[in-house]
Amino acid sequence: MAIPPDPAAARRSVIHDIGYRKYDGPRLGEAYTWRTLYELGARHCFGLGRAARYKVLPMMLLAIMLLPALIIVGVQVMVDIDEQVLPYSRYAVIMQLVISVFVAVQAPALISRDLRYRVITLYLARPLRVDTYVYARVAALATGLLVLTGLPLLLLYAGSLLSGLSPGSETTDLLTGLLGVLILSLMLACVGAVVSAMTTRRGFAIAAIITALVMSYTVGATVQGIADEQGETDVAGYAGLLSPFTLVDGIQVALLDAEASTPEGPPGVAGGLVFLAVALAVVVGSMVLLLWRYRKVAGR
Amino acid sequence: MSQLVLQQVSRWYRNVVAVNDVTMTIGPGVTGLLGPNGAGKSTLIAMMSGFLAPSAGSVTLDGTPVWRHEQLYRQIGLVPEREAAYDNVTGRQFVVANAELQRVPDPGAAAAAAIATVEMLPAQDRRISTYSKGMRQRIKMAAGLVHDPAVLLLDEPFNGMDPRQRMHLIELLRRLGAEGRTVMFSSHILEEVEQVASHIEVLVAGRHAASGDFGAIRRLMTDRPNQYLIRSDDDRQLAGLLIGDPSCRGVALRMDDGLDVEAVDFGRFAVVLPQLARSADIRLLEVKPTDESLESVFAYLVGT
Amino acid sequence: MTNPTIVRLTVRNGFGGRRAMILVALPLVLVGLAATFRALLGVDPDATEGVIVGLGILVVLPLVALIAGTSVLAAEIDDGSIVYLLAKPISRHVIVLSKYVVAVTATAAFTVLPIALATAIMTGELKPTLGYVVGALVGGVAYCALFILLSTLTRHAVATGLLYVLVWEGLLGGLLSGVRWLSVGHWAHAVAESIADDGTLSESVGPAYAVIAVAVVTVGALWLAGDRLRSFRLTGDE
Repeated sequence: MAIPPDPAAARRSVIHDIGYRKYDGPRLGEAYTWRTLYELGARHCFGLGRAARYKVLPMMLLAIMLLPALIIVGVQVMVDIDEQVLPYSRYAVIMQLVISVFVAVQAPALISRDLRYRVITLYLARPLRVDTYVYARVAALATGLLVLTGLPLLLLYAGSLLSGLSPGSETTDLLTGLLGVLILSLMLACVGAVVSAMTTRRGFAIAAIITALVMSYTVGATVQGIADEQGETDVAGYAGLLSPFTLVDGIQVALLDAEASTPEGPPGVAGGLVFLAVALAVVVGSMVLLLWRYRKVAGR
Repeated sequence: MSQLVLQQVSRWYRNVVAVNDVTMTIGPGVTGLLGPNGAGKSTLIAMMSGFLAPSAGSVTLDGTPVWRHEQLYRQIGLVPEREAAYDNVTGRQFVVANAELQRVPDPGAAAAAAIATVEMLPAQDRRISTYSKGMRQRIKMAAGLVHDPAVLLLDEPFNGMDPRQRMHLIELLRRLGAEGRTVMFSSHILEEVEQVASHIEVLVAGRHAASGDFGAIRRLMTDRPNQYLIRSDDDRQLAGLLIGDPSCRGVALRMDDGLDVEAVDFGRFAVVLPQLARSADIRLLEVKPTDESLESVFAYLVGT
Repeated sequence: MTNPTIVRLTVRNGFGGRRAMILVALPLVLVGLAATFRALLGVDPDATEGVIVGLGILVVLPLVALIAGTSVLAAEIDDGSIVYLLAKPISRHVIVLSKYVVAVTATAAFTVLPIALATAIMTGELKPTLGYVVGALVGGVAYCALFILLSTLTRHAVATGLLYVLVWEGLLGGLLSGVRWLSVGHWAHAVAESIADDGTLSESVGPAYAVIAVAVVTVGALWLAGDRLRSFRLTGDE
């Protein structure tokens, strides 16, 4: 058993605390936290940094997104067509099903997971503000969507240049298309994030997002089709507000003079500005909702 | 009399072996399944409750395999560890539902009796989402007991219980065991197992390390030195005498009087100690084995 | 063949709060749209096809069936509370059937009835109304069975069901005509069209095939789901 310490020795001895040490050195600021969280989120959109089975779906969807572009480029180069096969601005609307599935599955993976397993409390136990967390997550989701929707456009652009189309007009078309998918990505990311944040059950969030996106598009298309047939061009035009895809298409048509994917675009530049305003309202409104929801969760 | 028989049961998943060639019989009374985390206790209980098929060997209840035999659940009550009970029903509704599903003749009365047994009557009309962890555990117990099963399997039942609830659970399990039911629970907390189980099964790294009453197990470990605490009226002299005898491997003086003695030859030591004491006219005040506890048995079994 | 306690528990746990909101919102949109078109345009075959077939049969039906079919089982499997149903001396097929009944009833209430209403509003005739009700019912019966089976096969039942509906039936079904032999949505439409006889379906597999296919898929899926539940694994956390 232990021998009692010699009292004289006690004066000479010292106990070194080699346990927990406070860190007093330089700390990277909140910007670093934001950036790290954002990078991580953007990578998780494609399953990078997660187990292999989480890469399957997003990579598959990315492949399906790129396939038509690849085919078009191949055809363009081989058959030497000297005009645009598919306008950049129409690509997203045509492939909207793939994009919808992507956001429906990845938004909950990014947002609902943290809430479900209460990991959010760990994040907020750090000097991380709730707002920073929310912005980082939404930005990451939007970036993932931007990659998904923008990569095919870049591919088309490369193909067009290779087959000798005029670089000037191709570049303007590309930029128009990219601007469109940027707005689209932002909108979808916001809507997806809001729905995911409202529930901890991932399956339910997936169903809710896809329902919202598919229903809104189908309803919008139906209304547009009928209104167009009836000659109600204004109604048909504004029906494009119902779905993010047609909304972005409307902006591109009215303000940037792109080719329409819908029977009728928004009436004139004024209509286009209305569409743009609505898009902004959706984004801002979603962020407000998200911040409110997360502040409630964080108890602050 | 219900007996759960495991015959050379193994369970593996790819190249991880969770349970390795375990053979045991669980009979009436309270049996504690003991082992460190990761030893395979939950896997074993899952196999015993028919929720996992053994990769090899057989798990039978009175001769019938438990896997894919729903009718056996009439006799088996299961209290799982993790699984959340339905959140938005009240405790009473939950237990009544379980009683109905078990086709108990009078579900309401059976539920009331079960809830009374676990002492949840005051809270029974509150939603389960408002319960604390210990309360959830108890309501799950009530649900597992409501059909008066002959076999009761509990996975880590003491998790999350405060000392008072633990005492009640210990009392309850003892009572159930005394009624002749086959009660088996898993734990890695030794004090609880020590107080409740008449019979323990020790699982270490998937292997069945030991089985039986822990005192008996300890005595079987003849290659380990036995530890004793001895108090006498002249400790230092006794210490000198003891270390001179080959049956002792080590002697230490304790600060708060007494000797810690490590004896390698238990039989010889038992004879030599009183002889030496008498020869030196030393009075022995207390001779107590200090490692005949579940903790030391466990430490020996695990620590190798 | 069904257990009333399970039915009661499933209704209670599966259709609370938010789920009910979506399940009510979809048919409201459908009926609202039908009423709006009828008010603005009168009886219009194109509008009818767009709303009843395009929105109702092809979108609302599978989505509602997906939500209903996964609500009754997937969540319980996911958080493990299914163990309280399974540790009982009740046949697994009875468990599956009880949940199936709830799912089909919900689908009928939130899709079949609204489709009936919408068709009646938009056409005012019995034949198409009857046709689409029967078609929706037939489709709902098969969809629910399929999604319940998916719930027992994978933890990602919703995503998988979605891929089936959107990619297989939707995207590929639109591109390749052979898909119709293996598409529940098409079978529903085929049955509806055979009764309503409104020419909305060009290439049809025929009502006889559709009904038999639905029966085979439903019975097969439910039996398989019950069998999977018999081998349900509660993995410990070790």
